[in-house]
Amino acid sequence: MLVVERVRRSFGAVEAVRDVSFTCAPGTVLGLLGPNGAGKTTTMRMILGIYPPDAGSIAWNGRTIDRELRRTFGYLPEERGLYAKMPVREQIEYFARLHGLDERAAQRRTAAWIERLGLGEYAKRTCSELSKGNQQKVQLACAVVHDPVLLILDEPFSGLDPLNAEIMVECLRALAEGGTTLLLSSHQMWQIENLCREFCIVAAGTVRLRGSLEELRHAFPTRSVKVAPDLPAIRAAFAACGAGEPLAEDGALTYVLPAETDFGALLRAAVAAGDVSDFERREPSLNEIYVHALGNQGAAS
Amino acid sequence: MNEIGIVFAAEFARKLRSRVYLVATLGGALMVAFLVEAPALFSHATLDSTSDIVLAGPPALRQRAAALMEAKADFRVVASLDRLPKPVTLAFLDAHQKAAAALELSDAHHKLHVDVYPRDLAAYDEIEFRVLIPLSIEVATGLPSAEVTPALKVERVIHPLDRKFVDAKSATFAHGVAFGLIFILYFSIIIASQSVMASVAEEKTSRIAELLVATISPVNLLTAKTLAAAALALLQIGVWVTTALVLLPRAAVSLAGSQSALGPDSGAQLLAFDPGELIAFAIFFLLGFFQYATIYAAAASLISRTEDLGSVATPVILPVVGAFFIAQFTLLQPNSPLAIAFSFVPFISPFVIFSRIAISLVPWWQIALAVAINLATVAVCFYLGGKIYRVGMLLYGNAPSLRQVWAALRA
Repeated sequence: MLVVERVRRSFGAVEAVRDVSFTCAPGTVLGLLGPNGAGKTTTMRMILGIYPPDAGSIAWNGRTIDRELRRTFGYLPEERGLYAKMPVREQIEYFARLHGLDERAAQRRTAAWIERLGLGEYAKRTCSELSKGNQQKVQLACAVVHDPVLLILDEPFSGLDPLNAEIMVECLRALAEGGTTLLLSSHQMWQIENLCREFCIVAAGTVRLRGSLEELRHAFPTRSVKVAPDLPAIRAAFAACGAGEPLAEDGALTYVLPAETDFGALLRAAVAAGDVSDFERREPSLNEIYVHALGNQGAAS
Repeated sequence: MNEIGIVFAAEFARKLRSRVYLVATLGGALMVAFLVEAPALFSHATLDSTSDIVLAGPPALRQRAAALMEAKADFRVVASLDRLPKPVTLAFLDAHQKAAAALELSDAHHKLHVDVYPRDLAAYDEIEFRVLIPLSIEVATGLPSAEVTPALKVERVIHPLDRKFVDAKSATFAHGVAFGLIFILYFSIIIASQSVMASVAEEKTSRIAELLVATISPVNLLTAKTLAAAALALLQIGVWVTTALVLLPRAAVSLAGSQSALGPDSGAQLLAFDPGELIAFAIFFLLGFFQYATIYAAAASLISRTEDLGSVATPVILPVVGAFFIAQFTLLQPNSPLAIAFSFVPFISPFVIFSRIAISLVPWWQIALAVAINLATVAVCFYLGGKIYRVGMLLYGNAPSLRQVWAALRA
């Protein structure tokens, strides 16, 4: 289990991470969310030992993370880190060797990942000859070729077309099913919502929210209800239950109501008021939770 | 294989295949071939030296010789003595206005005999003997030289003062070789150090550094990179030196033939330079390279964009250029106090001490002291360069201030 406890890190006068804590159980996919400059990348770099924290602690299975342990981690940085003039196969093998694999194992795993990611025809080409999507695949192969126990991905979907993004999601899902713990950051909410089981929302170097999607939804203060058709009687029934002004769109009404509203009573009132053709209570999306957690800062980012 | 070995192997293979390396190696070989084949470099480089001469011998011979020599603007007799002290030393020449040579004349059975004690064999000008030919004729015949066909040669014996070379030709040749080796030393250190610099800058600007630093310590990374660059440079130098050795015998024969006044020595004699010179070259190349490479790597780690490479490269290139020029002056005066002093100055020492070794006899303690100072400098460079590199590799944005660099060094 990854335990990050009250870590702090400053760069001169800039306090990049003020107080971040979270845990990540083995095999979990944790999404680290936050606006630009929230401290996500710095937190990831501290876990990888690139920067030591000024305060706080980071441990994996109760053990302080040292270089030997870090070799069992994988990292896919936001900005692509590849040798432009090194052939693809050689590049992946090189990172496999740096992560402790012997030559034969490095060659075997490299071949397997080249096959899995459909990079066979590019194996002898240099990375500078590849498209951005294929470079990203090579980068992923470099990060996972040693079968890491913890894989840290900083904006893994950045710059990928939908097809390559889907391939990436499938790969990450397969790794998680295979027991790899994943910690990733992304601004692509729909992808991260599908992929992650746990979330940690940070802003200005501190944790704003954390938990599973169910827990985050449970704590969310409002729900929206969509009801159709748009009839004065149905509007009156909702108003009688204390609902505010609805959003009228395409012949339907959407209300935002407190989470503790008795939605059963509301449905009964609506049915009694008219011929209801649609009544849907919507759970908050991750994006709504994120924006709500960040307030004005989230809207700005 | 440990992490240094893995990085070393990858770095070596990557650079070996690079177009820049191949072009530099082949281009360097062509340049070496050109230098070896350019006889002017070896045969004409020293003919224009002005000579202050100490003359000794019987007064009549001395006066006549002085008159003949001073009639030529190239010569100035700075002292005229009955006889030269034994042995003649550099100190003796220094005491006589730093004379270029001492000549002792004698009449040996109606033949003019000249014992020559030159300061620098390579700079010693054979033309002096042509000046003395009339005197030789007069001694041999008792007649004024104008009445005799000038067919006689001056009989002379040259006594090398530092005993490094047997004659002027081998000294001249050694100067040429030394110049070539110093140029290769300079060229290789510049190329190899800049290769390390470019490699560091590439890893920094492409963020590969983040991946590497997560798995390997920065100091080991720096060590592996500089070792790989050193191995590549030695391989490159091997190609160049092999090219030179293949071409040198022919060039040497050609040189021997071009200096007919010196007699029928073969070119092979000229090639009899000390193989220890190549060992010294390798040692001082490595010592110099590691000093510069670590500084270059540390400088490269401070930039965030490849466009900024030039701004950090210029200040660190200046010392190596300066050292190269000081080495050129050392070739002219290998045992001057300044040359001896520069033999022990870090960053300059590898060039200067090697120049001196190549053309003169350097006391062993000076070589040992220079090696010790250079080893200590390499250790300090790795320690300080490694500290800057460790901090610099992960700093992005504006280049760090001097205060930040100082803080990194103190950390």
